[in-house]
Amino acid sequence: MLFRMIRGVLFHQKGKMLLIALTIALGASLATGMINVVLGVEEKVNKELKNYGANIVVKPKDSSLLSDIYDVGEGAELSTAYLREDELGKIKTIFWAFNIVDFTPFLDTQVTLPDGSAVKMVGTWFNHHLDLPTGESLDAGVVGMRSWWDVAEGGRWLDEKDENAGSEIMAGSLLAARMGWKAGDTVRLIGSHGEQDVVIAGVYDAGGDEDEQIYSTLDLVQSLTDRENKVSSIEVSALTTPDNELAKRAARNPAALSSRDYETWYCTAYVSAICYQIQEVITGSVANAVRQVAESEGTILEKTKLLMILITGLSLIGSALGISNLVTASVMERSQEIGLLKAIGARDHSITGVVMTEILITALVGFAAGYFMGFGFAQLIGSSVFGSTIEMNPTVIPIVAGLIALVTIAGSLPAIRMVLRLKPAEVLHGGH
Amino acid sequence: MTRRRMFLRMITASLLRRRSRMLIALLSIGIGATILAGLVTIYYDVPRQMGAQLRSYGANMILLPEGEEKLDTERLEQALAQIPAEELVGATPYRYVRLDMTSRQQSFTSAGTDFEQVQKTSPYFSVEGRYPESTREVLVGKEIAETIGVRVGSTMELTYQPAAAFASGSAAEDRVPGATLSGSAEGWSGGVVYVTAALDGDARIAQITIDASTQTEEYGGRADEDEAFAAQFIGKSLPLTLGTDVDALSGATVTSAAVVEALNTARAEAAPVQPRTLNFNVVGILVTGGEEEGYVFMSTEDLVSLTGENKLDVAELSVLANADQLEAYAAAITGAEIGVTPRLVKRVTRSEASVLEKLTALVFLVTAVVLLLTMICVSTTMMAVVSERRREIGLRKALGASDNSIRAEFLGEGMFLGALGGVMGAVLGFVFAQVVSVNVFGSSITFQPLLLPITVIVSMIIAALSCLLPIKRAVAIDPALVLKGE
Repeated sequence: MLFRMIRGVLFHQKGKMLLIALTIALGASLATGMINVVLGVEEKVNKELKNYGANIVVKPKDSSLLSDIYDVGEGAELSTAYLREDELGKIKTIFWAFNIVDFTPFLDTQVTLPDGSAVKMVGTWFNHHLDLPTGESLDAGVVGMRSWWDVAEGGRWLDEKDENAGSEIMAGSLLAARMGWKAGDTVRLIGSHGEQDVVIAGVYDAGGDEDEQIYSTLDLVQSLTDRENKVSSIEVSALTTPDNELAKRAARNPAALSSRDYETWYCTAYVSAICYQIQEVITGSVANAVRQVAESEGTILEKTKLLMILITGLSLIGSALGISNLVTASVMERSQEIGLLKAIGARDHSITGVVMTEILITALVGFAAGYFMGFGFAQLIGSSVFGSTIEMNPTVIPIVAGLIALVTIAGSLPAIRMVLRLKPAEVLHGGH
Repeated sequence: MTRRRMFLRMITASLLRRRSRMLIALLSIGIGATILAGLVTIYYDVPRQMGAQLRSYGANMILLPEGEEKLDTERLEQALAQIPAEELVGATPYRYVRLDMTSRQQSFTSAGTDFEQVQKTSPYFSVEGRYPESTREVLVGKEIAETIGVRVGSTMELTYQPAAAFASGSAAEDRVPGATLSGSAEGWSGGVVYVTAALDGDARIAQITIDASTQTEEYGGRADEDEAFAAQFIGKSLPLTLGTDVDALSGATVTSAAVVEALNTARAEAAPVQPRTLNFNVVGILVTGGEEEGYVFMSTEDLVSLTGENKLDVAELSVLANADQLEAYAAAITGAEIGVTPRLVKRVTRSEASVLEKLTALVFLVTAVVLLLTMICVSTTMMAVVSERRREIGLRKALGASDNSIRAEFLGEGMFLGALGGVMGAVLGFVFAQVVSVNVFGSSITFQPLLLPITVIVSMIIAALSCLLPIKRAVAIDPALVLKGE
């Protein structure tokens, strides 16, 4: 009997039930979409913030100070300690390897141009192909880490896949303007241990000191200065979790942590934990967080996440009120029917049961439809804003289902009780 | 009773008698309007607020001197005048010199700066200890601190070797206050005239001694004793021109010219001043992960006391503006022709533009989706409330009400609710946006007056639209059927 009554309502009052289902579907899609976006936004924004460049710099332990502080290091090759180029791939094997977005080595020298002037030349990777011991392979290099560089028209980024990459350079815009260079020109560079004719692949505008420098492949600088397999610093761009109190304590001295704290710290993508892990795999290295990038990143991420959470909160409250409003309205509208049921002797709890079951079935249908709509919204936002899909988190399903159930019950129960309190005769008479 | 009064009475009566249902409708519109007003306010404010947050990446414009000559405070202020004060987050002057720490036989790049501004333009600097607050206090980069083993509380003796700075023959005003110049020049008949001048704090001649003993007594020799001649030099700054700045001793033009020439040559080849040494307390260790860790930072005043020159190498600016506005400010500074070259820090401006664009797009889409869904929700509730009144519509029709009058009444009712809910929502929405802004960005939001009418109008339109469909259906049905309850 109950089943028949419910079926009767669902099929005979199609229009009304459809309206409720639609509203619940909208609410559910809003909740699903927004919660998924909130959960995914941190990762997406974090990737966007990689535009600002590396957040970790790795240097040799002993001589990191020499060339920086004593200026003389430049060209005079005073610094004696280097990192090893063949160890670079290991960066992609640390615990948080997945969070390493990009990395590139640097080796500086001073070369002499045909007119006798000296210029700083930086050897690096552009799109260097690496085959990792784990069987993976990747392209790492400076191209992805200098997103703000503009290559002047007619030129291009140096391409390491090109056969002639070893005899090509990129020149800074100020240097090129002073020397009258343009892409395609051939220049002779004289290094400390050899000289070579190189072709200018492109002229870049970096808006900084680099505009006075020459960038070339790491191999070229190594051969010009006879420093095979040597690297003076590595820049690493990593996705990190904003620092908290534990991370700050750990950054000072990881050894001072309790073993449990140590484990928590080591297994969280704090910038200090990633630095520590890089030091473990690169011999004789010191990895430091670049605070300009790392610190600001944390601030922006937190703000964005908080903003999204508050917007989501508002829209959830809004849709919850909307749904329970509609449910209340639709229950109250059925006062005549409920009055009739009461008049023919139905008990209060069975009436409540019938009405609730109808509404919950409708809500279930609405929720199912809404979940997929929400999936669509999340993907729409993900693909149009960040150009990538937003991962759907399965934990969102029970959260949204619970929310919808709660909101539906909260909207219908008080309304049912209110209608039940009315006298059947009055209700049927229509005199309320 | 006029038609209009009857119309008003019907609407108010309906609203008052059917309180619970109307309350539901009003609540629903109110929620919709709140979300509309709140989200739109946030959407308009996000670029500004996020832009302010992104300033934590530090300076986005630097000011450099146009030629060889260094910047000074006056020119810096002229340049800053081109940027609206409310958009300037901070402007930090830097002067870099190498200072020696004689006790360790080491030298460091030292920067003289304004620490109050540093904290604004480089909020990412992390200091163990504190920033220097008075003179004779320094902030030491972590790498230096580790190399030479200084800690917060240590003292450092730093020495400035001014030789290099003086050899360049910079302008007279650059002279160290109190310096003494001495020079000589060939005077009458091959004799040499010797001059020694002491400069005061403003690089003006305070005292002058002329030795013209090699000159003929009756002509040039008098330059030694003639007090009026010597007095002409006092208070003048170098270089001097004979005949304009000082008058020649009558009958001894050549000797007079030799005195002026000696002074001018001495100025051009000013002898190096004695090294200056100051003692500093280390009050903080700077951690940045960048090259700043290899510098010693001190207040501009201290560096001026050491070097004797109040000059700047560069100024870092943090400006709350997008790339286009920054370009405009840079052009204004260049156009002012004050010898200052502005440069944008592309790494920061470019990245900021792309990040800000993404965040704005994110908030826009989220706002659009939420608004769309909320508005549909509001309409469904309104529709439910109106379609419930089919019987009433049927009855009115049976009593002879025209379709148009019924439509007008329901629309009027809906729009009244829309207006009321709209006002409510505009106020609540602003409160909500304010709460979000204070919690997320820690700053208050500005009220957009235009948003009030927009919210009210949109609410009224949505209320009217969602009334129309159910009324149309109710009106179309034969009153008898409706009243029978089918």
